[in-house]
Amino acid sequence: MTPPFSRKKSIFFIRMVVIITTAYFILFTPAVNKQLENWGYLFIVFYMLTNLLVARIPEKFFYDDKIFYGFLLSDSILLPAGIYFSGYVGSDLYLIYFLIVSLITISSRFKYLMINAIIFSCIYGWMLYQKGFLTGPLAVSYSIRIPFILATTMFYGYLITTRLKGKDRKIREVQEQYEQIVQATDVLMCIVNHDGNFLFANQKLVTFYGYLNKKNLLGSNFSGIYNGDKAEAEKALSYVKSVFQKNDMVQHESFNKHHDIWFSNTLSPIRDPSTGEVSAVCIISKDITNRIKEEKKLIDTVELLRKTRDQLIQKDKMAALGRMASGIAHEIRNPLEIIYMGVDYLEYNLPDDNPHIRKSIEKIFNAVNRTNNIIKNILSFSRQSEYKITQIPLISLLSNTLALANHTIRKNGVSVYREYDDEFLEIAGDRNMLEQVFLNLVNNAIDAMKDCKKKKLTVRAYKKLVTKIGYKSGYRRADFFSIGDEMIVVEISDTGKGIPEKAMPKIFEPFFTTKPTNEGTGLGLSLSHMIMDRLSGTIDVESRENQGTTFFIKLQPASRMPDLKKA
Amino acid sequence: MSKSIKVLIIDDEKDFCYFVKKNLMRDGMFDVITATSGKYGIELAESEQPDIILLDLVMPDMFGSEVAAVLKEKADTANIPILYITALATDDDIGENEEKKTGNNHILPKPVRTKKLIETILNILRKP
Repeated sequence: MTPPFSRKKSIFFIRMVVIITTAYFILFTPAVNKQLENWGYLFIVFYMLTNLLVARIPEKFFYDDKIFYGFLLSDSILLPAGIYFSGYVGSDLYLIYFLIVSLITISSRFKYLMINAIIFSCIYGWMLYQKGFLTGPLAVSYSIRIPFILATTMFYGYLITTRLKGKDRKIREVQEQYEQIVQATDVLMCIVNHDGNFLFANQKLVTFYGYLNKKNLLGSNFSGIYNGDKAEAEKALSYVKSVFQKNDMVQHESFNKHHDIWFSNTLSPIRDPSTGEVSAVCIISKDITNRIKEEKKLIDTVELLRKTRDQLIQKDKMAALGRMASGIAHEIRNPLEIIYMGVDYLEYNLPDDNPHIRKSIEKIFNAVNRTNNIIKNILSFSRQSEYKITQIPLISLLSNTLALANHTIRKNGVSVYREYDDEFLEIAGDRNMLEQVFLNLVNNAIDAMKDCKKKKLTVRAYKKLVTKIGYKSGYRRADFFSIGDEMIVVEISDTGKGIPEKAMPKIFEPFFTTKPTNEGTGLGLSLSHMIMDRLSGTIDVESRENQGTTFFIKLQPASRMPDLKKA
Repeated sequence: MSKSIKVLIIDDEKDFCYFVKKNLMRDGMFDVITATSGKYGIELAESEQPDIILLDLVMPDMFGSEVAAVLKEKADTANIPILYITALATDDDIGENEEKKTGNNHILPKPVRTKKLIETILNILRKP
């Protein structure tokens, strides 16, 4: 930015000329007035001291024309003053002559410069005439000073118009270019000071925040543009302060609630050229709402894919387990059958009067029965048992389930809350299967609350429109629910100990259980999951440790299948 | 019932055949013959003309459904009722296709106790 020969340097150049000239006259020229010579030394010392002060003035002040020409003028006057003090010239007219030359140069325009020159030339000529210098032997040497004034002025005028003014014009042009760039860009741009007060803002920013013009915005601070939202303003200010602290660029993303827009903000320090310290901060904010939205979409899709993949793996596992279960069942049931028949035979042929034998036989039967029950449970996975989808009144189904669990509910001191939106909700499903699902969930809920103080079981049922893409709901053909469809949701919620986060992904897996070994088979939830799949419904869970668990069973409303028979 | 009921058991589990025979014959109500392979079972069915056949579904040489199909095709065995006794718990394994081929069939899942088995046999035979 700084030109090679800056205004400040040119002032120092002039001052150097003054000092050298004065010193030259003191040292090498025989003085006319010896008394003044000491004043000359003092002048040099004093003048050099002022140089120290001038050096401290920041560069930018010299680009203020008034200050620059002020220096130019005063230094031009001091040049003849220095010569005068050196005692070289005895005539006051000499001083006046240079004073006139200096006064002429006050003007910054060529035209005024020339008018000044002519007026002062006339005054000076008149003074010479009054003193009688225009006659006599020295007339030529004095009168030649008048054209010299004009020549000096013209030369000086040439300098300011071509050099200095040209430089100013260039600066103006560059400024205009910068201004155009700043206004034409698609970003919000501003410069703020340490307190977040606006020093500059581009038109885009001014209109974005609803200001009529730049003047209304400048001088106000962040709280103005954030509609008085103190927290937001504080946050924005803290970023500005961090730029001042670090003396380095800071980048961050922010969300503007009032405009629903995401910004990527770049805060760059503006440094004082002389000290290098941060004097202000330039903030450039770019609208990245679209990018953020796309990113969010991508994240959602990835999440959905991940979920679907997990579910597919889960399904695969289930199918494999089903095949294995059916094989195991066959292999175990055959020997079980032989035990049954063999014990039947023994029972018939052994003497009746021995109670021990009778008891032993009973124990064997019990063991076989137990084994068979386990096999039955495992087989539920591979069983393609017949089920009938019928139209079922949901509330009566839920009441039945709760009645079945009534004994356990009472035994454990659980209070049951029923929250039904509509008493006449009708769903499409298989009564026995759904009863199995609900009973399983109710029993789980009761188990989860065993050691809890608060024992509250809530059963909710309501209609809902499908609005979100999720497991088995969306736009695909294979989905059970399409966006915009109606579904019926049953929530079974407890205030129990909750499901540990680690266990969450596994709860629908067969044989996974958090219950003690002899209490749960780990088949209930996986069976429920499979049943819901078969009934074109879904089962989800939300749980918080030590607060409770809610299962969401989403069912097909009977209205979607008008041909259904009433159960 | 004056005449005893002739039962043919076709099952590859020898021990199963042994005990069923023992248990059914104890009251003299049943006369039991056994075959431990599908082929032999078909031969016996033809030669012995049983009143009912207890048939296993999964055997090493033939599936129970195949045995039933062969019997159905032969005039002198076509009308003998068949009771499947199977360790495969899934009803799908017996399915619709088999039902078409074999006509009316009955299924009893394993394990089953003697009392239930006798009841089922008598029930089937009582039907017209």
